[in-house]
Amino acid sequence: MSAIPAPHHLTYDTTAAWLIRFATTADSVEPELTALDQRVGDGDFGTNLTGGMAGVRRALQALSDGPAADRESPAAPLATAARVFLDDVGGTSGPLFGLLLQELAAAVAANPATAGTRELAAGTTAGAAAIQRVGEAEVGDKTLIDALVPAAQALTACAPDTEPGQALHQAAVAAHQGAGSTTDLRARRGRASYTGDHARGVPDPGAMAIALLFASYDDALSSLDQLP
Amino acid sequence: MPLYFADSAESIVPDALAGFASAHADLVSHHPDHGYLRARGGSAQRRVGLVSGGGSGHEPLHAGFVGAGMLDAACPGRIFASPHNRQIFEASRAVAGPEGVLHIVKNYTGDRINFGIAAERLAHEGIPCARVLVDDDLATDSDDIAVGRRGTGATLIVEKILGAAADEGRGLEDLAALGAEVTRRSRSLAVASAAHTAPGSGTPAFELPDGVWEYGVGIHGERAGSTTPAVPLTQFVRTMTDRLLAALPDGPRPRVLALVNGLGATTSLELYGILHALTKALDDNGVALDRSLTGTLVSALDMRGFSLSLLAADDELLRLWDAPARTPAWPL
Repeated sequence: MSAIPAPHHLTYDTTAAWLIRFATTADSVEPELTALDQRVGDGDFGTNLTGGMAGVRRALQALSDGPAADRESPAAPLATAARVFLDDVGGTSGPLFGLLLQELAAAVAANPATAGTRELAAGTTAGAAAIQRVGEAEVGDKTLIDALVPAAQALTACAPDTEPGQALHQAAVAAHQGAGSTTDLRARRGRASYTGDHARGVPDPGAMAIALLFASYDDALSSLDQLP
Repeated sequence: MPLYFADSAESIVPDALAGFASAHADLVSHHPDHGYLRARGGSAQRRVGLVSGGGSGHEPLHAGFVGAGMLDAACPGRIFASPHNRQIFEASRAVAGPEGVLHIVKNYTGDRINFGIAAERLAHEGIPCARVLVDDDLATDSDDIAVGRRGTGATLIVEKILGAAADEGRGLEDLAALGAEVTRRSRSLAVASAAHTAPGSGTPAFELPDGVWEYGVGIHGERAGSTTPAVPLTQFVRTMTDRLLAALPDGPRPRVLALVNGLGATTSLELYGILHALTKALDDNGVALDRSLTGTLVSALDMRGFSLSLLAADDELLRLWDAPARTPAWPL
């Protein structure tokens, strides 16, 4: 953690830094995610994620170069990332990621001045629900839901005044465990469901990416000076 | 893709849409940035926009049925691939009525997910959205198939009847319920004597020996569970008809509406012969053929095959079927 004190509320700078750090993380793990997806899916997940996050970087740069009024809310970077994933990313997992970001943005936008753990919990819970409405996956189907639902539960279990970095750390731990739990499962949803027992022994790459998303906030606080 | 008359696999769909839009510029407008076609004009009574879509390769579905009395917009995906949620979202936003938008979706996982994501986005914009899921294919009616029956030929029946109902100013939930009821009363079956040409390789998607038909085939060249010896057509249509009639809900139905549909490479000469065989088979079952439509309407590229769809009809559904429509491909 940097010398900058952990902010008690989300700000434009912290949510932007969070997403930029996640983009960097996604780039560095892309070969691993692709290798996993080649074993359980159609092999495009890593590329879709890094391509989407590259688009998010560009969109955040445009936001940073644009009118200052667009940078007042911590929801703005999340809404920007949601639009990129929903509009520009192909495949199925990418747009589903967009749904999570859209719900996080909406929850944060509801209380932009004081958004924190309470809003992160509400947004993550709503994101998991939206993805489940659309994708019809349950926990145990070997999808990103196996990481997202435990993350939402961990955030909800935190006291509402918990510092967001701490709460997101809890979420990351829970999501990581959830992602790990997919290793021994046989997939019932998504492309991996066609591979049957071949998917056993391989964790779901979408679930891994969810864990990395939540873990990226901690790292981002130490890199606020890297903002565009 | 040596057999297809197209510059490339990538260009075939956008080039066709541009051509389609110029051919029917009086009826539809093309929105290439977002990838959808929209009806020009239409009933001022309509309070709900009707949007459908799915993979390309099923022409004239869906774009051919955009226009007065049917769809407000269609979103074509790449060949046999779901449209992107962005296309559906933008089309829905453009044509939503004061009571929102109704999505007519064939039951395939990709279509369900992409229309679902679009619906979530519409909800965030405060636009009400409901869905009719068409799942009429009897060949996929099995407890072993967790994703349920596929959506095939009855999609056109749903689009026509809902278009007429929407023109009467009915509300969103009312239309969704009507679409579900039309779907519930519809079943389809398809058979092929030769596969379509796979766009990637330019070769047949699967090989069938002479004298063998693929019975229960899908509209994306999905193979059926089994093949069947090619028997005399009248006998085969009777077998299909008996099976369809037995599957219609609520017991034997005295009246049906039928769709005799070519899958892409079946001639009109053959299709009308199939209608003749169907009429005899219905007659032998004591079922009246109240309305019929014959043609290549829900195709599977150039598959040599046909599908039969039956709707257990009543006066109200027939009235809506008979209502006028003016679209690029509606033939009645």
